Amino acid sequence: MSEMKKIKNLKEFSTSADRFEGANLLCPGCAHSIIVREILNATNDPLVLSASTGCLEVCTAVYPYTSWDASWIHIGFENSSTAIAGAEAMYKTLKRKGKLPASCEGKSPKFIAFGGDGATYDIGFQWISGCFERGHDMMYVCLDNEVYANTGGQRSSATPIGSSTTTSPAGRVSYGEKMNKKDMVQIMAAHGSPYVAQVAPNKWKDMIKKIQKGFATEGPVYINAMSACTTEWKFAPDDTIAISDLATDSLVFPLYEIENGTKLTITYRPKNKIPVRDYLGAQGRFKHLFKPEYEYLIDEWQKRVDDYWEYLQRREEAGV
Amino acid sequence: MKYLGWDELLPGAILFSFDEEMEKDACEVLPENRPYAETNSHEAYVGDWRVLKPVYNRDLCIDCQFCWIYCPDVSIISRDKKMIGVDYDHCKGCGICVEVCPTNPKSLLMFEERIENETALAQWPEKE
Ligand SMILES: Cc1ncc(C[n+]2csc(CCOP(=O)(O)OP(=O)(O)O)c2C)c(N)n1
Ligand code: SF4
Ligand code: SF4
Ligand code: SF4
Ligand SMILES: [Mg+2]
Repeated sequence: MSEMKKIKNLKEFSTSADRFEGANLLCPGCAHSIIVREILNATNDPLVLSASTGCLEVCTAVYPYTSWDASWIHIGFENSSTAIAGAEAMYKTLKRKGKLPASCEGKSPKFIAFGGDGATYDIGFQWISGCFERGHDMMYVCLDNEVYANTGGQRSSATPIGSSTTTSPAGRVSYGEKMNKKDMVQIMAAHGSPYVAQVAPNKWKDMIKKIQKGFATEGPVYINAMSACTTEWKFAPDDTIAISDLATDSLVFPLYEIENGTKLTITYRPKNKIPVRDYLGAQGRFKHLFKPEYEYLIDEWQKRVDDYWEYLQRREEAGV
Repeated sequence: MKYLGWDELLPGAILFSFDEEMEKDACEVLPENRPYAETNSHEAYVGDWRVLKPVYNRDLCIDCQFCWIYCPDVSIISRDKKMIGVDYDHCKGCGICVEVCPTNPKSLLMFEERIENETALAQWPEKE
């Protein structure tokens, strides 16, 4: 095990030399790249990376360019998880047989797969489940923008109730998405994963702590990263951090972790809890909820968020 | 760079980030010392995406590095814990750095692309 990178404060962190490059084609203000930068900068170990088809992959590997200064592979939509699991299994085998090149000596590479919520919650789900069942030493990061952003904003099973998407449009007869968001964090914890956590890029300290904890954990680690999408959530590109703050401070995206499938710990308690209404009101995808006929949905939203927060607190207290 | 046509490419492709093997991992080599390959997007330019550009005022900056961590496009240049400027080849003009800058007045502000930085600095607002 290599030494953990020491990151005492933001000034010290800012001396990191990024292994992710600009002039990728992600939208101005995209949170995907803020998350990726925070994660990659959390370690100085060699990186082996993969990405599923989706905004991150499509925009960082545009022929003839790559935006990655580390080993990186893309195969398909559903298999960033198995691509990285394969690399990890090969690495382990070569190590056991003493066949690793001398340049690998004393190093401990980190194997990280990235996928969007479409790739994670829906299309790549069984591949991820298999990787976690087999216990690969890898980290899977879901960039959760709650929509199939790269293909123009179709709903996924991460899309929350009331969100207007191109396949769940709001209008005269519908308030938008009708299904509640799938609880992917709990599902991955139920795999018995040694470490799963929800993170958000605005809370960078919490993010770094969890990512480093994930790196130090042996076995499959799941990270659900909230990724505010200026294009599909419909807010101005300079508001990405402000929207993320609303999400974490209204507890729509509570920050917590679960160890060994059961031990739940809340890692961020907002000093001033913000009404869910403020979070919804800041985004075009929820605009229609503020019409008189749909306003009851905002109260329902608040109740769902309150109930879930209550549930998390009880589990934390009970230690199960 | 000579681009190959779709029918000239082999199925599956490898792009190199650097022209030569580096002795150290990239995380230990500052961008100015990296042997970037022409296939690295670092060599590309997206400055023409901008409508507005962030202008940096060194005199007001407290080097908190909020702009560095939240810039999606690796376009805030920080060295030795100091913010030293904006990389206008890679900055897309999103304005996040300005929004997160905590000083009063801000040390980063958006100006129209056509305005010279010196002119922008001369028009800097007073403390609110
Ligand atoms: C098997 C397969 N189905 C569908 C697609 C088309 N496709 C490409 S990107 C994309 C959306 C990705 O959404 P998500 O995983 O949420 O990532 P995001 O773009 O939102 O970051 C889709 C549907 C594909 N490439 N492969
Ligand atoms: S559509 Fe959303 S996720 Fe995709 S690049 Fe744009 S801001 Fe990022
Ligand atoms: S405007 Fe956006 S891309 Fe440009 S330096 Fe600021 S945060 Fe980075
Ligand atoms: S956010 Fe503002 S004060 Fe902080 S380092 Fe950047 S320019 Fe300086
Ligand atoms: Mg998505």
